[in-house]
Formats: sequence, C-alpha cells, structure tokens
Amino acid sequence: MIKRIGVVGAIIGLVAVSGMNFGVHAADLEADSRQFIQKVADQAIESLTSNDASKSERVSRFRTLFKESFAVKSIGKFVLGRYWRGASEDEKTEYLALFEDLMVISYVDRFSNYAGEALSLKDARKENETNVTVFSEIKRPGGANPIRVNWRVGTNGTIYKILDVVVEGTSMSTTLRSDFSSIVRQKNGKVAGLIEELKKKTASLEAETQN
Amino acid sequence: MSLFYIKITQKNTPHVWSFRVGVNRIVTVIQQYLAMTNTMLKPFSSAIVLILCALLIVSGCANMPDPADREAVADYMQVNDPLEPTNRNVFSINQGIDKGLLKPAAEFYRDMVPATARLGISNALNNLRTPVILLNNLLQGDLDRSVATLARFLVNSTVGMLGIADVAAELGVPPHSEDFGQTLAVWGIPSGPYLMLPFFGPSNPRDTVGLVVDVLTDPLNMWMSNTDRTELALSRAGVNVISQRELNLELLNEVEKSSLDFYAAIRSLYRQRRAHEISNGVVLDQADVDENIDFPKVSDIDG
Repeated sequence: MIKRIGVVGAIIGLVAVSGMNFGVHAADLEADSRQFIQKVADQAIESLTSNDASKSERVSRFRTLFKESFAVKSIGKFVLGRYWRGASEDEKTEYLALFEDLMVISYVDRFSNYAGEALSLKDARKENETNVTVFSEIKRPGGANPIRVNWRVGTNGTIYKILDVVVEGTSMSTTLRSDFSSIVRQKNGKVAGLIEELKKKTASLEAETQN
Repeated sequence: MSLFYIKITQKNTPHVWSFRVGVNRIVTVIQQYLAMTNTMLKPFSSAIVLILCALLIVSGCANMPDPADREAVADYMQVNDPLEPTNRNVFSINQGIDKGLLKPAAEFYRDMVPATARLGISNALNNLRTPVILLNNLLQGDLDRSVATLARFLVNSTVGMLGIADVAAELGVPPHSEDFGQTLAVWGIPSGPYLMLPFFGPSNPRDTVGLVVDVLTDPLNMWMSNTDRTELALSRAGVNVISQRELNLELLNEVEKSSLDFYAAIRSLYRQRRAHEISNGVVLDQADVDENIDFPKVSDIDG
C-alpha cells in the first residue's frame, strides 16, 4: 500500500510539476517572442542600412537574415494552400526554392526602406500554445501617423520564426496565398504552371536588380 | 450625352500661400485635361458607352467549377468573384487611366509640392470629411469615436488652422476612418461579390452603396451644389484623388512589382483592409477569421 501511494504520489507530483512548468513556459513564450523580434530588428538595421554595400551584397545579407528569421518553408506551404497536397516532391522543392527567391527579391527594398526607421515594439499576445502576435509601430518621418505592424511569431520548442507580417491589417501570407491560388486556378490547377510564373517573375526582378 | 462637363475657372488668387497656388495650378491642369478630353470624346461618347456595355455583356461571369469538386466549389465561394472576367477588364481600363493620368499627376504633385505642404493638404482634406465620419460613428452607435471625431474637428479647425495641422493626433487623439460602407457592415449587411468599379477601383455592392451615400451626405457637397459651385466640389474631389494616390505611390508600385497576379493581390488587399477598417483595427486571431484555413506553425522543416 505504501508502494502504491508512492507511485501515485510520484505521478501526481510529476503532473503538478509539468503543470507548473507549462505555466512558466507560457509566460516566457510572449516575452521570448518579443525579444526575438527585437533581435531581428536590430540585426536588420545593422546589416541592411549600411550605405557602402552594393545592391547584390544587400540582397545576400537580406537572404541570410530572411532565412534565419522567417519560417520560409512553412509559409511557402501555407501560401500554396490546397494545391500543396497534389504537388509532386520535385515540384514542392522547386516551388519552395523559387518562393524564397521571390520573397527575398521583393522584400529587400521594402525592408531597406523601413529598417532605418524606428520600430517600437508594443506588447505581445499569445494566440495558442505555439504562436504569439507581437504588436509594433513604425514611426514615419515628417509627422505622419505611425504604421501598425504585427508580427506572427511561432516556435517548435527550440527555434523561433516569423510566420507572418501584418501591416495595417493586411497579412503578407494571406495576400500571397490569394495571389498564388489565382495563378494556379488559371493554369488549370497545375502547380507546374505556378512554377513557370515564379521563374518569369524572379527572372524579371533579378534583371531589374542588375541595372 | 456628355460624360464630363466642367467649367474652367482660372483662379487668379494673390500669392499668399505658395502651396495653395500650387494646388490651384494642379486643379487647373486637371480641369483643362478633362475639358480637352471632353471635347475630343464628345462625338464618340455614345460609342464609348456602347463599347463599355458590350464589354460587360461579352465578358460576363466567371466559369463555375465542376460541382462535384467540393474543394473547388468551396474555393470559388470563398473567392467570391463571380464577375471576375468583367472585373479584370475594368481593372485593365482603370490601370490605363492610372498609368496615363493619375500616377503622373501624383508624381508631379510629389515633385512640385513639398512634403510638409502635402501633409497639410491631406490633413485639411481629412478634416473636411469630419461630418461624414461623425455621422457614421453615430449610426454605428460608437459614442467614444463620435466624441473623438468631434474633438479632433474642434481642435484641428481652430488650433490646427482649418485642419492643416493635425494637432489632435499629437495630443493623443489619432484619426480614424469611417464611411457608410463600414456602417452597413456593422449593421450586418454582407459585402456581396467583388466588384471593380470604373475609376473608383475595388469595391463590392455594399461599399458602392456606401460610396454613393457618403457623397450625398457630405454637407460640403450639398452646400456646393445648392450654391452652384459644383466645380469646387469636383476640384476638391480631384485634389483628394491626387493626394491619396501620392500617398500610395510606393505601396502600389511594390505590390505590382512583386505580385504574380496584380488583380488578385489588389482584391485580397482591398478585402483585408476593409475588414480591418470595419473592425476598427481590432486584431482577430487568424482562427477566428476563417476556421477552414490551417494557419502555419513552425515545424522542423523551418530550421
């Protein structure tokens, strides 16, 4: 009987301890997410606002920062939506690579424009067990009203990544998803068609970068 | 049938404020352009109307998906753009007007008018919208925002020199937008299918009604039409359009540059922005917005 109490006691103890840990973990989630965004912002300012770098240098720095801070593959999968399941492994790989290229080239200028401006972090709100929304504002020069930017941050327990950027209510991933799914629909549901369009778009954007 | 009729009035005002002269000059240029177009188009105006109608009839509705494909049908319902072919045509026409007239005018405005003056103009224009904003605050039963709107109007019109300086924002009462389309949404009216309006851009049946009501309930418009000053109303509308277009120059350039399907991107952005305005900026958890969508989570593939 003592043994049984011992075992039950141990189980109760374990449950209680894990419950406590969970509580502590939840509070850390918001603070850690906020800290993570601050770190990304600091790195962005450091690597993107030095004027001596050439355009291609800035693009490669941005690519590194982008891959480190964004959940590129998970976002890419979400953006493809219901067409992800039907795509072959090769198509998935090619699509994700092109998706990353498009993101890097189309966002590098936007980030360079904003990286120099003051990003002020507000509070963070837990959405579920793994995701947090970090609220922030970008103050624009000239006295115009600040832009509200929300960062959807997620974690798998070890790494933190940005899942989405919402600027004044418009979500980057939702917009991309509508854009891409419209293209796939026009190509009769073929992901290969989307890959063609991605290749064309990244090629034309890269050509612009060279000039 | 004449599509536009505008009296050209040359305003010979004394050079008191340079930006006011600049604004007058821009307005005169726009009026002259429109008058010129009017003269050129007059003989063709009925033909143009006929062509537009033909476009609408011929392009018609989007192809409905196979009803057996439930996912495709759900997709079609969610996209809610049964008039897509027509909308795309109107979108092309709008793009033509934008590239040919609005964008150059906005760029000219940016080059000729200094930033502080442009900010002053947009502040003043926002101030003039107060009656419509206040009306819709009240119609939505939003007393807090009604008080804010009134406070902003009083402070900005006096201390802020007829709205040119947004003093209220600095004092902690930021601006917010309201229109009858938002009021209808708050009252529970669904938006209806996506509609690309000629010239006015992305909309839907509910927001189109809202737009018409906004124009009719604007007391400044009412006074101007009663006192035979319609060209003033059009000038104000013109300056408003150019001011707004200038503010959106970078954003629209970026969206066009980076999107694969510019039309679809604009449709999505318009809807998200409206939802944001209607909810007064309340950030909903994505799961609340659409339970059918599996929002991304960080997984090991992101490492």
